This record gives sequence, C-alpha cells and structure tokens, in this order.
Amino acid sequence: MIRFSDIRYRYPNTGWVLKGVDLSVADGEYLFLCGANGSGKSTLGYLFNGLIPHFFSGTLQGSVIIDDTNTRESSVSELFSHVGLVLQNSDAQLFNSTVEDEIGFGLESLGLPAREINKRIREISKRLNLEHLLGRSPLTLSGGEKRLVAISSVLCLNPAVLLLDEPYAHLDWQAAEKVRQTLLETHQRGKTVVVIEQRTRGFVQDSTRCLIVDQGRLLFEGPAKAAQEVLRRERLVPSYPEQSKSQPSGQEPILVARDLSYRIKGKEILNRISLEVRSRETVAIIGRNGSGKTTLIKHFNGLLRPTEGEVSFQGEKIRGKPPSEMAARVGLSFQNPNNQFFKYRVRDELLVGPVMLDREENGWLEEIGDVFDLKGLLERAPYRLSEGEKKRVALASIVAMRPNLLVLDEPTFGQDGRFRETLAILLTRLKDLGVTTLIVTHDLDFAQATADRWIVLHDGRVVADGAPQDLLCDEQLIRVGALGRPPSDTRH
Amino acid sequence: MNRLDPRTRIVLGLAAMGAVFIAREPQSLVVEWVLLMISLPLVRMGRRWIHSLRFVLPMVGLVFAITLLSFDFQVALVLSIRLLNLLTVSLIFFGAVSPEEMGDVLIKLGIPYGFSFILTTGMRYVPLIGQKIRNIMDAQLSRGIDLRPRLKNATNFMALLVPLLVQSFVLSEDLAIAMESRGFGRKGRSARREYRFASWEYFLMVVSLLLLGAFAWWERW
Repeated sequence: MIRFSDIRYRYPNTGWVLKGVDLSVADGEYLFLCGANGSGKSTLGYLFNGLIPHFFSGTLQGSVIIDDTNTRESSVSELFSHVGLVLQNSDAQLFNSTVEDEIGFGLESLGLPAREINKRIREISKRLNLEHLLGRSPLTLSGGEKRLVAISSVLCLNPAVLLLDEPYAHLDWQAAEKVRQTLLETHQRGKTVVVIEQRTRGFVQDSTRCLIVDQGRLLFEGPAKAAQEVLRRERLVPSYPEQSKSQPSGQEPILVARDLSYRIKGKEILNRISLEVRSRETVAIIGRNGSGKTTLIKHFNGLLRPTEGEVSFQGEKIRGKPPSEMAARVGLSFQNPNNQFFKYRVRDELLVGPVMLDREENGWLEEIGDVFDLKGLLERAPYRLSEGEKKRVALASIVAMRPNLLVLDEPTFGQDGRFRETLAILLTRLKDLGVTTLIVTHDLDFAQATADRWIVLHDGRVVADGAPQDLLCDEQLIRVGALGRPPSDTRH
Repeated sequence: MNRLDPRTRIVLGLAAMGAVFIAREPQSLVVEWVLLMISLPLVRMGRRWIHSLRFVLPMVGLVFAITLLSFDFQVALVLSIRLLNLLTVSLIFFGAVSPEEMGDVLIKLGIPYGFSFILTTGMRYVPLIGQKIRNIMDAQLSRGIDLRPRLKNATNFMALLVPLLVQSFVLSEDLAIAMESRGFGRKGRSARREYRFASWEYFLMVVSLLLLGAFAWWERW
C-alpha cells in the first residue's frame, strides 16, 4: 500500500511543481498516471522510491508512506528493491556494457550470491524473451529492446511495485505492443504497476485506475473508461483538424529519388528506393523504428551520399553539394530540439539559419513568430522552455530559412496531445501558405491527420505509396508489420 | 582469448605495451608490428583494426611529418611505427577486456568501487557521446551552419559545443538517478563474476614478463 498525503514539492529555485496531491495505491493495482508535458507527473514518480527527498533537494511538504515506511526515513538504496523505477531515458537507464551486466547490476547491489544472480538473469531473460540479447551492448539495441531490457533490469529485483516513466515514448506500434503485453503480464502476476505516460490512446484502458495530473494537482481519479472524456476535454488525446484541401498539389515533382541504395559497414540500410514529392504536397514517410526513415531523409539535403542511385531536387542532382548549402532549399528538422539550441535567446536562435544563408528580411521574424505562436517567447532562453515550446522554436528556426521543402523527422517525438494538435494546425497553416512538407513518423494518427499521401518504408524498401485510408486497410502491409492498426481501431 | 582470466589478459596487454615502449630499433618495431598483425586475426579483430586505420593513419602520418621536419628519417620512422604499434596494442587490449572486467580487476586490486565505476562507465559512454556529436552536427548542418574544419568556421563550432555540453549535463543527472534507483552506493555489494586463475595462466604471465625483461635487456645492449 502506498499513500501520498497532501504532497507539495518544489525544486530549488522554482515554484511549486506539486500543489497538494493526495493519493493511495492498493497492492496489485495497475495505475495509469497521465498529464501534459510539465504537469508534474514525473516529479510525482520520483516520490515513489524516495528520489525526492533523498536525491533531489528542494522543499517537500506532506508524507509518502510505502508499506508503513515513511520515505523520508529510508534511503533510495533501501527502497529500490521494493519500488522498481524504469526511466524514460534509456541511454541513462542502461549504463552497463552488456545486457547481462545490466540485469545483474541491481542484484549485485542487493549483495546476492553470484549463483543466485545468474539464476535470476536466466529466469527474467527467458520470461521476456531477451536470451538472445544477453551478450549484446545495450547501445546496439532497438528502442523496444532497450525498454524491455530496462524493465527486466528492475523486474529481476522482484519489486512489489513496478513504476515506469513514459515506457511508450519513442516506440513504434510493434515495440509499444510488446511493452504493453509485458506490463499486462507483470500485473497479472500480482505486481502493482504504475505507468506515467502522455501517450494514452490504446494503453489507458489496460489500467484498473487512471489519474490525470494537471499543473501539479490531481484533476481526475477514476476508472479508465470515465477518464476518456476528461482526456479529450483536456486535449491530452488530440482532436485533429480537418485537412485543408484549399491548395491542390502541383504536378511538378520537387524531389525525386531514383534507385537510391545506402550501405554502411556492409549492411544494407536502404535498398533501391524510388519516390517523388510534388510541390505543395504533404507526404508522410511511415515506417517502424529502424526501417531506414531517418537515413533516407538525410540524403535529401546532402548529409549522406547514396551508395547507389541519385536524388535530385528541383531537377538538380544533390550529390556533392554540402548540406550547409542545401539548407537554403531543403529544411530538415530533426526529432530532438535540444540538438540545435546554442543561443541565449529564442530570437537569436530563430535568426541563425537566415543569417547564415543571408536571407534576413524585415518583418519575417514577426511573421514566423505569429505562425508558430512564439511572440511571448522571443526574449527567453531556449533551454528554459517547455518541451512543446522547444519543439515549436526548433521548427520555426527551420521554416525561418524559407526552404522549398520542409522535412520533419518524428515531429511528435516526446510531445503531449496538446502539442500534437497544435502542430497539426500549424502544418495546415503552412500548407495553406503553399509549403511542401515531408513528415517522417511512426505516429499513424498524426500522419493520418496531416498527410495527403503516405510512403511506407519497411526494412529499407518502399513497400507502398498511396492514400492513407487505402493503405490502412491493406491487410498484407499490416501482416508483414510495415503498418500497424491505429490504436483507435483496435481498442476503442 | 576470452577464456583467460581478465587479470591474465591485462598483464599480457601491459607486457605488450611495455615491449612497444622499450623497442628502440626500427627492426624490432617492425618485428613487433608483424607479430601484432599475426595476432589480430587470432583475436578476431582484423576488421576492427582495418576500420580504425581511418583515424590511426592520419595521426601516424602527422607524427611522421613533424618528426621528419624536426629530426631525421630514422627518428621519424621509429616514432611513427611505435605509435602505430601502440594504437594497435591498445585496440586489442580494450577489445579484449570489457569495462566491467577492468572494473572487477581494479576492485580486486583494492581500488574503491566508486572510482572503478567512473572509469568503466566513462568507457561505456564514449560511443554514445560520439553518436550525440553526430546527431548535433546533422542538426546544425541542416540549419546552414558550416562545420567544415576551416578557419572562417571557427566560431560556428559553438553550435556543436553548447548543445553537447548541455546534453552531457542532462545525461549525467539522468544517469545518477538511474544508478541511485538500482542501489548504487549501497553497502555489501556482491560480484556476479567469479574469476579463477588456471595454473597455466600463472605460467603464461611469468613467461610474458620474462620475455619482456629479456627483450629490454637485448634492446639495451
């Protein structure tokens, strides 16, 4: 039994992040805790295993009691085997050089004898089907495999409570389904499971109870079914706008790839890809993680050179042109906005591209600010913005260069429902302005809401090209795993 | 190779490094190089070595050019072959001893766990940081920032440095949370791996050290 009584918490030098939370979790519950970016849900997670107050300083009021133990009085190293925490950041969560060592780490901390540790590693890897990965470095695993290894490294400690911070983040439909099944099975084995998430569709109904956190307070507490209405009202499940049909696409292809292949270290990543994007079109490149999507788009602005084949942009071959030169024509925005911020103010960040390319024009910054709703943020430091704001600034900094083609790599990565809805509206606005957009994603709902046409990539090949509604009915594509069914079709 | 106790592997590796440092004559260095070339396929690192040449050869070439200009051909040859051999030995050494094994050996030598953990985790995160640098470079090149190594681009490298520093801080905090949540620093830690010397490994170590001594004596005279 876990009981939070009137919890208020603030990190050093910030306002109150949690503003009076009362909550209890019974043994064997499956709790789904959701909320927008910055709502305080991860902070709430850190209270479960004593990271607050023992690791994070700051001010904590109220009490957290876990099975008669006040977390103020027992350290994280006493609680960790009782409440197992799986972090969102797999790179940090997996810090050993092999999967086997990763699973063994916590068991070694407990001081168990070597024989028992090795027995538990064998058991948990068998249960989660990870035996073939034991000797591999976690760095070389796929996103889904990393998440399962992280879960197993905690489950092997046999904790009464399994707590996961955004376990579905960055996973494609197939990997997410595997994690989902693992969590369901863990719950069926009698464990208490607490999932902190912002991706709700398809997952929330697995839980026995749902909590919605908003601005540091509990907004809703009740069964998953009743939560749907609140999730929609709070825009945590996005309601996408109708697609704009006002701008018919042109017939002229703006980007053409012919028989493009790419190999690295003898491994074929892309295999004879041919595709076209016409001006004023919004096209989505769909595929699971590892299907070669990001590698493909890096050929569109010269970041990579094809091993075979050609890419041309507006009739001109890209081969040999440096990316810094191509940036003026093909604007590529990668998934992690933190990879690009290096200025003190958002305003300067937005101007980097236009200054580099000599494309500064009076009034343009204001226009960009209007389109991306950044007016109030221009003087702020990029790193201090919320995740959604950061993403808006990152996208705006690319659009500010006035590229002829805008390429967005996983634009919904790490974003809540509210942002996804806002982004869909933004893309509609850009479409009305005549911008050609290529979206790379495995977020099928978002792709359906924003793109006119889908190009499906599977194992480095284009396996389908057509209207989203037709492709989503293609049983063959779903069977081979090239496409998934949107969660709404299967579980709503 | 992996059947040997890590302590044996470390002693053999250190002996090989010692031999590279001791060698003074070009002939000895060439013989060492040939021996290393023979051992590469034996420890299955031939492909990795060829791959590493992309970084190793420019470095060796630079050392050769600088010493040739400053001293003479003989010195340039000795120094550049020595560097090549040293980098090859290091590649084999770090390929044959995993960071965890290195950590375990350090603990057995009485080094505190925290210190050996810093060392091993540092090694573990090198490829990840490399990946992060590539991602940041891709993002910045795509914004029109020229990062080719030219003097006029010097200030542009802030665009690489700032995101890398910020992300490294974030990663180190997340890592600390992850370690804390898996009982790092808890007293009474056990070790999963149990190492046992085979008697012939003692013999192997003694022979390698004797050979090193003999080689040192021979090089002196």
